[in-house]
Amino acid sequence: MMSLTIIWIALPLFIGLTIYLLPKLDRYLALATVLMSFGYGLNLFLSQTSQQFQLLDNFGVSFWVDSLSSQFILTNALVTGAVILYSSFQNKTAFFYSQAIILHGSVNAVFICADFMSLYVALEVIGVAAFLLVSYPRSDRALWVALRYLFVSNTSMLFYLIGAILVYQANHSFAFTGLTNAPPEAIALIFLGLLSKGGVFVSGLWLPLTHSESESPVSALLSGSVVKAGVFPLLRCALLMDELLPVVQILGISTSFFGIIYALFEKDAKRILALSTISQLGWMMVAPMVAGVYALAHGLVKSLLFLASGALPTRNLDELRVKPMYSGLWLILLVGGLSMSGFPGFLGFSAKVSTLKSLSDWPEILMNVSSVGTALIFGKFIFLPHKRQGGHLKPGLILAALLLIVSLLVGNVLYLQAYSLANLGKALAVIGLGWLGYWLFIKRQDLKLPRMFEQFDNLVGSMSLVLIVLFWMVFT
Amino acid sequence: MKIIAMDVMSTGAIAYYVFISSRDGLSSPIFNQETPLQYADPVPQAVILTAIVIGFSIQALMLVGAMKLAHHNPTLETNEIEDNNTP
Repeated sequence: MMSLTIIWIALPLFIGLTIYLLPKLDRYLALATVLMSFGYGLNLFLSQTSQQFQLLDNFGVSFWVDSLSSQFILTNALVTGAVILYSSFQNKTAFFYSQAIILHGSVNAVFICADFMSLYVALEVIGVAAFLLVSYPRSDRALWVALRYLFVSNTSMLFYLIGAILVYQANHSFAFTGLTNAPPEAIALIFLGLLSKGGVFVSGLWLPLTHSESESPVSALLSGSVVKAGVFPLLRCALLMDELLPVVQILGISTSFFGIIYALFEKDAKRILALSTISQLGWMMVAPMVAGVYALAHGLVKSLLFLASGALPTRNLDELRVKPMYSGLWLILLVGGLSMSGFPGFLGFSAKVSTLKSLSDWPEILMNVSSVGTALIFGKFIFLPHKRQGGHLKPGLILAALLLIVSLLVGNVLYLQAYSLANLGKALAVIGLGWLGYWLFIKRQDLKLPRMFEQFDNLVGSMSLVLIVLFWMVFT
Repeated sequence: MKIIAMDVMSTGAIAYYVFISSRDGLSSPIFNQETPLQYADPVPQAVILTAIVIGFSIQALMLVGAMKLAHHNPTLETNEIEDNNTP
């Protein structure tokens, strides 16, 4: 298992460079790597093992693979696979594939690391690879968005580094388990770094612009798998330390509402998707035990929706309401929207049910309200007009959508225990309420939330404010 | 300007690592049977080397991006660039 893991983690980086040397084989090499990754994840998921290895000696790199990481790895493999299928019908250069595969490999590395230093390295590689992918079109706007992303992610990683050395000082080791003895300021700094990197809560407001202004395959990759790299270590820490669990849960609940409120008043299709990513990250953090299923459900749907949004005639929802789109495209949006709102028959339903089941008291009530909000947001997509003729889908989109939708349905079979009469009724009621809300209020409103907090200077400033809040939360 | 500021920040983080590792002593950790030394902890220093390299490469990437942007925004004021490039 150990040598397999090492090969699996090193292979994408190696293939990434090979693609650059053999540009003719780019998409095949990329697909082969993703397949291998998928096989590894599936094997891990089915065997349900939990193993830890330590490479080199005491201060070496440590890995921890278990079923939680296997679900995240599967998500990453499926999302990258769909993106590569989608882009192989567009004229992307070898550079794109090579960066996508390096990104894939480093996201995988995050999902199995068990110490703060290897996590740091993996996150920084993600930052650089994502920067190169976002700036791929090389227009001024893409460059600015990418620079802004790299700046924010690098600054957040500096906070993280300071936290990591404080953990080392307390334990003489960088392992995750050392967090228990670490001073509160170390926990606050590390959390801030991960929150900003993952795009969670106020410090994650860089996310909507970055995800909506990138090309659709890149935003699918970013939203489907890369943001989970920031959340995963948080979940690991929350599962290791019971004292941190409420902190992560409170952050999760506030994030889920934060994203929904912003998304309700938004008119741009891609921005709505990006903002709903923020709110879904909150869902993952609320229930760390079952976050893997949720990550899988969210990653598949979000990349599906982002890929489909690339084919929309316009991004403005007001215009889409007047101008009907092609039915095939609408069908993809329908499937995505239904799964995201937790409609029975898709993986999203099982994920929502298992998340809600692991909660009790007030978090459960709040998250139920939040799921109504999700249904409301996706009502915006589901109730768009469509017509049968006068359009066609690109073969790349069809292939990618097939892969993602089939995995959504197959994944559903793995969690059959979610299907009980009460859960079915509840899911339908929640969706009904959400759609009612859409028809009554949201369709007519014309309010716009200010985007002041998304300005570059305010992003960095809000990071320090969140740091103070986090310190206070951890301290009490 | 902001890129330089980021570099200063990362220098601060690196200096902090070096500082922490030298808290127990300043000499190099070479085993010596006669006189046990107060040596500096080599682990943070080794680890921060990675961060220095990463910081340097990110710096280079960002400067290339800034150079590209400078074609259309010669003053490189972030407010201006932001106004021009946000929808």
